Amino acid sequence: MSYRHKNLALSFAILAALAANTNEAAARTAAANPDSKAPDTAAIDALNSRLARLEKYLGAKEEAPAQDDPEAQEQVATLEQRLLVLERKLELQQEEAATKATSTPLLTLNEKGLSAKSASGDFEIKLKGLVQADQRLFFGDDAVPQNDSFLFRRIRPTIEGSFGSLIGFRLTPEFAGDSATIVDAYVDVKFDPRYTLRVGKVKGPIGLERLQSGGATALIERAFPTELAPNRELGAQLQGELAAGRVNYVIGVYNGAPDGRDDPTTDADDNFEYAGRVFFEPWKNDANALSGLGFGIAASKGDKEGAGNNFLPRYRTPGQNIFFNYRNTVLADGEHFRLSPQAYFYRNALGLQAEYIQSKQQLLISGLPATRTDLTNTAWQVTGSWVLTGEDASYRGVVKPNSPFTSHGEGWGAFELVARYGELDIDDDAFPVYANLSTAASQATAWSVGLNWYLNSNLKLVFNHTHTKFDGGAVGGDREDEKTFFSRVQLSF
Amino acid sequence: MKNIIKLLAAASLTLGVGLVNAKEIQLLNVSYDPTREFYQEVNKEFAAQWKQKTGDDLKIQASHGGSGKQARSVIDGLEADVVTLALAYDIDSISEKGKLLSPKWQARLPLNSTPYTSTIVFLVRTGNPKVIRDWGDLARPGVSVITPNPKTSGGARWNYLAAWAWAQKQYGGDETKTRAYLSKLFRNVPVLDTGARGSTTTFVNRRIGDVLIAWENEAQLAIEEAGGKGFQIVVPSLSIRAEPPVAVVDKVVDRRGTRKVAEAYLNFLYTAKGQQLAAKHHFRPALPNLVSPEELKAFPTLQLVTIDKDFGGWKKAQATHFADGGTFDLIYKNAR
Repeated sequence: MSYRHKNLALSFAILAALAANTNEAAARTAAANPDSKAPDTAAIDALNSRLARLEKYLGAKEEAPAQDDPEAQEQVATLEQRLLVLERKLELQQEEAATKATSTPLLTLNEKGLSAKSASGDFEIKLKGLVQADQRLFFGDDAVPQNDSFLFRRIRPTIEGSFGSLIGFRLTPEFAGDSATIVDAYVDVKFDPRYTLRVGKVKGPIGLERLQSGGATALIERAFPTELAPNRELGAQLQGELAAGRVNYVIGVYNGAPDGRDDPTTDADDNFEYAGRVFFEPWKNDANALSGLGFGIAASKGDKEGAGNNFLPRYRTPGQNIFFNYRNTVLADGEHFRLSPQAYFYRNALGLQAEYIQSKQQLLISGLPATRTDLTNTAWQVTGSWVLTGEDASYRGVVKPNSPFTSHGEGWGAFELVARYGELDIDDDAFPVYANLSTAASQATAWSVGLNWYLNSNLKLVFNHTHTKFDGGAVGGDREDEKTFFSRVQLSF
Repeated sequence: MKNIIKLLAAASLTLGVGLVNAKEIQLLNVSYDPTREFYQEVNKEFAAQWKQKTGDDLKIQASHGGSGKQARSVIDGLEADVVTLALAYDIDSISEKGKLLSPKWQARLPLNSTPYTSTIVFLVRTGNPKVIRDWGDLARPGVSVITPNPKTSGGARWNYLAAWAWAQKQYGGDETKTRAYLSKLFRNVPVLDTGARGSTTTFVNRRIGDVLIAWENEAQLAIEEAGGKGFQIVVPSLSIRAEPPVAVVDKVVDRRGTRKVAEAYLNFLYTAKGQQLAAKHHFRPALPNLVSPEELKAFPTLQLVTIDKDFGGWKKAQATHFADGGTFDLIYKNAR
């Protein structure tokens, strides 16, 4: 006797017993309520639903109906067919689901944004975003009045993804300004993690803090070295990770951006700039005290020939006000060389970041070849951070608070104290020929303190105070100190 | 001695050149569901012949599934060098929607690119306990019928049209009665597989149903694999001449450089060996003169309708019966 027949026989026996019970119950009900109609429909419905449940689950073994009971045999056969049909349908549904799974894309929406990935995983598109709304207050600004303001610092949706294992891309427009611009737009050809070709509009590979995401910096605005490093460059670079990720390198050729700014949309002169960076994290993969140490050096070299904002720097204060630029008659005319040693160290809740940069440019006064000279401007900064709530400090900021903020008070998010000191020093030889000390400061030093409150992975509040002092930059003396209190609401995903 | 050395040198040179020039070629045949065993043997035979003729190593892969589904896969990018599907309409759709082969593909090979045919019969359990004799019995209450889904399976479309043809004859062309009959038939269908092989699995292996409407070759194969026990074939009074065609997929073979071998592969089906293999696997050879009368005895004579004469061709049949909102959709809706 087959297992299936025995189980179905049990099903039939139980069914018969249930039918008997139901009929008995119906009879008792009828006896107790002579005027009530016998609940035949209810009994049939009860039997049907119980049969449906039995059709889902088989019971234990039992003796089959007698061979000389053809009616019972036929009923068992019918039940068996129904069960077989159900099983087959389930089998076909599973086959169909498995087939669909191989082609159905996976859509994910979480704190990291929206992602659509093909079933094979080869193709992926992600939508991410960064929105920063600031309030900027200047105080003690009597001599150099500044407007207190609310503003959007960044409104950047990002579309990035990959087509197969070879091609990656990223597109980030900026909607925060008066007109939309493109911040990042590049294509990656990923031959190997050790060498990827990136072509398009990319972050220049010089400044350590520049290379940090705009949503991850310790303070609201980046420090002075970023004023000397290129912002976005147009060009092509080869980049990769070596030694199990312990060494990162970039080497590229670009149009050549002026200090602290973007490349213009086309090369403003007939010269390219070559840049490279190598960064070491020797203990990155080890669980020891030095695993968070990284250090490296970056450099760029190229010729710049021209006047104006596409070639020459306009250095800004932490409050984003220009405190230095060259005279209108100054031309970039020759080699522009940058060198930037840089390092960071993150250990548990503490972080330290430092970089130095020098930017040397050949200049002359228009029409006066004898004034050709090299001027070297330098900047450096040190930033410390301490995550009070114990999460790990990192180059990416606090990625995920241990106890995200809730309105019930169960969690408060993560709190990070930050402090920075930095200097930007203009070459003394710039004055008075190439720059006017009455309008352009020869040095700026700034210290900043701040509090970052990471409510959760997506929401961050930032409060900064910065005090910047200047040498020169005003008629007969020093430019008025810049004192700011900036706050920010940041949404990122 | 010198002659022996020369001979050995020549042989080595030939062998060396042969080895240097021998290529490995891969071919993909996208086929419909019940042709697995047939093409397994065809592929082995043809690859051996090709190796002997050209020295190249030929690896032929086959993909099987419901004919409609297979056609869609090729349109969506499955790189088939050749398609050997259940009906011309599916290859036409690859041409029209996928633009992968010429619209005139069917004229390229003999006999409308159909090297073998089949028909539709009933496979019942031994002893025919439900006494299935003809199409009308499939609509009887209490008879459980297994047939695949005409939306995905070419075989199912042949099944449906055969039933339709019988009903049209039975009811004197009355379409209302024909549809009523088909509704009753599909009411008796508990499971709709996506392809003919799936339905065979349902009937033979899962032991579901009283009768399987099947390709003749599939029914014969089921009996053969069951060792001749457990099942028997019932030949209906009327059936349809099922014409599963074959074609080279131009865009793919030209891109992959496999046109020559793909054409030779399909031409092989028309050779004596190809026709004998077809008969061996219970397909009716399109060139019966190449097959022994003994092998042809396995194919009973029966009244057959054709897609062109009785349904106006596949384009019309597809639009009338199997397109969205066609007769199958209406019938199946009524049947549920």
